[in-house]
Amino acid sequence: MTTTLDKLHAILRRDLLTAIRYRSGFVVTLVGGLTELAAFYFLSQAIGPGFRPNGNEYFPFLLVGTGLYTFFVMSAQSFLSAVQEAQQTGTLEVLMTTSTNPAELVILSSISAFAGNLFNLLIYVFAGVAVFRASIHVNFLSCLVVLLLSVVIALAVGIAAATLQVAFQKGSALLWLLGSGLWFLSGTLFPIESLPRPLQFLAHTLPLTYAISGLRGALLDGQTVFAMAHTVGILAGFGIVLLPVSLAAMSFSVRRARQDGTLSFY
Amino acid sequence: MDQIIFESVRKVFRHRPAFFNWLGKERRGETVALSDITFSAARAEVLVLLGPNGSGKTTALKLISTMLLPDAGSVRVGGFDAVHDARQVRRQVGIAVAAERSFFPRLSARENLDFFAVLDEVPRAERASRIAEVLQDTGLEEQADTLVMKFSSGMYQRLGIARALVKRPKVLLLDEPTRSLDAGTTAHFWTTMRALSVQGTTILLATHNFAEAVAVGDRLLLLHHGLLLAARSLIKGDTAESLRAFYFRTTGATDEAIETIGPSCDPVIGL
Repeated sequence: MTTTLDKLHAILRRDLLTAIRYRSGFVVTLVGGLTELAAFYFLSQAIGPGFRPNGNEYFPFLLVGTGLYTFFVMSAQSFLSAVQEAQQTGTLEVLMTTSTNPAELVILSSISAFAGNLFNLLIYVFAGVAVFRASIHVNFLSCLVVLLLSVVIALAVGIAAATLQVAFQKGSALLWLLGSGLWFLSGTLFPIESLPRPLQFLAHTLPLTYAISGLRGALLDGQTVFAMAHTVGILAGFGIVLLPVSLAAMSFSVRRARQDGTLSFY
Repeated sequence: MDQIIFESVRKVFRHRPAFFNWLGKERRGETVALSDITFSAARAEVLVLLGPNGSGKTTALKLISTMLLPDAGSVRVGGFDAVHDARQVRRQVGIAVAAERSFFPRLSARENLDFFAVLDEVPRAERASRIAEVLQDTGLEEQADTLVMKFSSGMYQRLGIARALVKRPKVLLLDEPTRSLDAGTTAHFWTTMRALSVQGTTILLATHNFAEAVAVGDRLLLLHHGLLLAARSLIKGDTAESLRAFYFRTTGATDEAIETIGPSCDPVIGL
């Protein structure tokens, strides 16, 4: 008997083998991450110790904001790239004729795409602490809860991008929006209180704002889950709404693509 | 009992031009890929779909595999409806598509087969032995651990057939399976298909190759512009030449090989 765990293992193995066979890929990612950290470190040094957003030192503030933002965008990007590549090679059509339910396949594939980027996030934060001496005060349980909820929301965003790709062959449009519009609204580089009121209101409608704020609270201030109940509740609400909606949209777009014969269009 | 029932099936592809299409020449319109087609295939039968490009052969296979949904009519496989019981249908159907590169390029042949076998819910205990078996059947044992990005067209095609076989499907759908294969591999493939049929597998074979149709087929359907022009059994006396003559007589197309070279020459076998 083949279980969902067997399938997840097969997909993780496929993606891991593919990743390590792009020999220089891991090294490039590592060097890129370290360079980015160095830039943020020297930026915070240049600004000086007087700037303490939300009571935190600036470098740890940047470390969490940019790390989680990169996790969101890169995870959605890698899942979307997998869907685009499957369309181009014709693998997507074949995958849709296997005995595995398309919704199950989409979720397992996205989990795999996100697992790699979660690993990158952990390395990024670890390097920030070990190499650049970022001061942290961790509450592990809170970190775990915020990360889990962030992963669920990021999964929903990735599935939404893949839905746009299957339906209109334009999943990259959503990622463009994420990449260009959200970073300054979600408190990645500076506190959202610095924004004008209308933009602050907009910032409070974005799940990434709460994910970044929650992870800062858990990783830098050691806040308990109870102390962060408001943020955790909002993140859970986003997850509960966004994941089923994105899955339903994906299911609808796959069905429409099967009707129109556009499953392999790109 | 019929393993596949195709009843009054219609499939139309509608063209939706891109936004700002006034920059290009693409216009709205539709292509009728299959028009009110009805046929069935019995258990262990090898049914050949013959017809020129664009006749609807691949569309018929994709409808049976659930890759596509019909606009009208019904497709049933093993008693299950391809629209409402799609998962049950997928469990019974293996398809070897014409798209050669539908694999993960940085995985080996064995790793690709293992991946698809898991998604096709092949029991863990049987997976390795089944993969070894289909690699042997398709002559890919020596290339089993080579990354498929290094494969030739023929090797991709053999791997596609191996993938379709690894789940031991009750219904096997083959789209021009020997297009890129050499003569020896093609002959071995035909033997394998006949053996599968004897074991009870229903096979639908879309081909342009008259010799292939005669070698493995029990019955053939002749499709033309989405219409079913003819259905007939293939009998012992049939040859590639007689089938070719039947094809041109029925479709009304001109056999240019004979027209231009002359009737004294042997016609080229194939479309």
